[in-house]
Amino acid sequence: MTIVTNRLDRTAKQLVLTVQEYSLFAWQAVVNLFEPPVYWTDFLIQSDIIGVGSTSIVLLSGFFTGAVLALQSAATLAEFGANGLTGRFVSLTMIRELGPVLTGVMVSGRNASSMASELGSMIVTEQIDAMRALGVDPMRKLVTPRLYSTITMLLFLTIIADAFGILGGGFVTVFLNHQNGTQYFSTAWEALRYPDVIQGLVKPLFSGFIIASIGCFYGMKTSGGTEGVGRATIQAVVSASVLIIFMDFIMTHILLSLLGTG
Amino acid sequence: MSQGDTHTTTPAPDALELRTVVEARHVTLGFDADPVLQDVSFTVTRGETRILLGPAGVGKSVLLKLANGLLKPDKGSMMLFGEDTRAIPEGELLTLRARTGMVFQEGALFDSLTVRDNVGYQLLQDRGISDEEVDTRVREALKFVDLERTFSLYPSSLSGGMRRRVAIARALINNPELILYDSPTGGLDPVTSTNIIELIMKERDLHATPSMMVTHRLQDAFMLCTHRFDADAGAMVKLPEGQADASTTFLMLEEGRLVFDGTLHELVHSENPFVREFLE
Repeated sequence: MTIVTNRLDRTAKQLVLTVQEYSLFAWQAVVNLFEPPVYWTDFLIQSDIIGVGSTSIVLLSGFFTGAVLALQSAATLAEFGANGLTGRFVSLTMIRELGPVLTGVMVSGRNASSMASELGSMIVTEQIDAMRALGVDPMRKLVTPRLYSTITMLLFLTIIADAFGILGGGFVTVFLNHQNGTQYFSTAWEALRYPDVIQGLVKPLFSGFIIASIGCFYGMKTSGGTEGVGRATIQAVVSASVLIIFMDFIMTHILLSLLGTG
Repeated sequence: MSQGDTHTTTPAPDALELRTVVEARHVTLGFDADPVLQDVSFTVTRGETRILLGPAGVGKSVLLKLANGLLKPDKGSMMLFGEDTRAIPEGELLTLRARTGMVFQEGALFDSLTVRDNVGYQLLQDRGISDEEVDTRVREALKFVDLERTFSLYPSSLSGGMRRRVAIARALINNPELILYDSPTGGLDPVTSTNIIELIMKERDLHATPSMMVTHRLQDAFMLCTHRFDADAGAMVKLPEGQADASTTFLMLEEGRLVFDGTLHELVHSENPFVREFLE
């Protein structure tokens, strides 16, 4: 019994310590932007890697998610004689929920893992220590550019995912369900209100923060050689993905209350 | 002994302080409750080369990382250029560290950057230095380690010895006021090791840069003491029998404690059983 209690005690303390370390880490990464030196070149490089590099997976996943939504909804809507509302259904679902969440999860799988493994490898090969020994702050040089570029690029990637999701739904509606394309796109457009768009564009800012801060955090606290790098990568992807979905729930609740679309 | 003699051999405290680059005062450090270093005190003054000896795992590399503030002591204080590394914030420590150079055990080169970008890393962070000047200074540093031809290569295409030499070039490019070598010859063949030691000697004798070198290879340590770099010949030459370089002295660690601090002569005549066992 004592062993179990001790283990629980240790785990709880470890969890609190990790949350504290993460909070300080994320805060430091955020405030570094407001004090020189700021490495803008690294910001642009990371924006290219994270943003441009993730475009294809976001574009494809958005397109096929929209297509599946159109396929699934068409049958149900037909039962109520509401075939013409497919466009409205797809656009609202993509813009409010699936666009931000799917993009977040896809980018997390690609970039939180790459950040954790890249920084983790740099830790175990003493490259981070070498950077500090050369008088360069790794938080400013490596973490802050990744954080802000992920936040910025995730916003644009979500817009791309939304657009291609609606396009995918349109493709299914026209070529598989043989419905009117003009009706699909006009209902998709007319259904949208500003609160929907705001909801869809606020979430990626938080997802981007989660992806980069979690990926860099686990990377920078890697220990235990190459095995540790693998462990850090897994922890980063799992934590970031779960947190994105949790954040989506919280943000949806808050934004629905604030914007009144519920 | 005359009054005058006393003044020349024992510098006034202020003068000594000015000459001191690194000073460890009763430094103690542990990881996860395991003590790694206990009550270690020593100094490194200008122009001095201190060789840290001891078997693997006694805390030599940790001591080196304490010297430039990459680690901070749990107890005691580590003074770098007169500043207590434990008392100043990381931002100020970065500025202090920029005045030092460090060669890591495996080189720790940035594998995604070319040799040029690795060696010129510190200069490239300074927006006031043009690309042309960076190139010139990188080529000079690479010439010092005889690796000009690697300018555009990536670290992955270099041998172990070449990586260490590039790491030395990176450590030297900004004319550091202190150089820290962490096992610079570890894992290298004897010929390459001798080349690396020759480079360290060259820096010591041409620029009189104070340094600390961690090693568990006695032959490397003794070679640094018994040889000097001849700038005219462009190679190291042996000192006359019985002579040793006065600026090169030794520290020896045993299980985290400093058990020896002295010259080569004192080392080889030490009565300390651990020192004797290590030497034999």
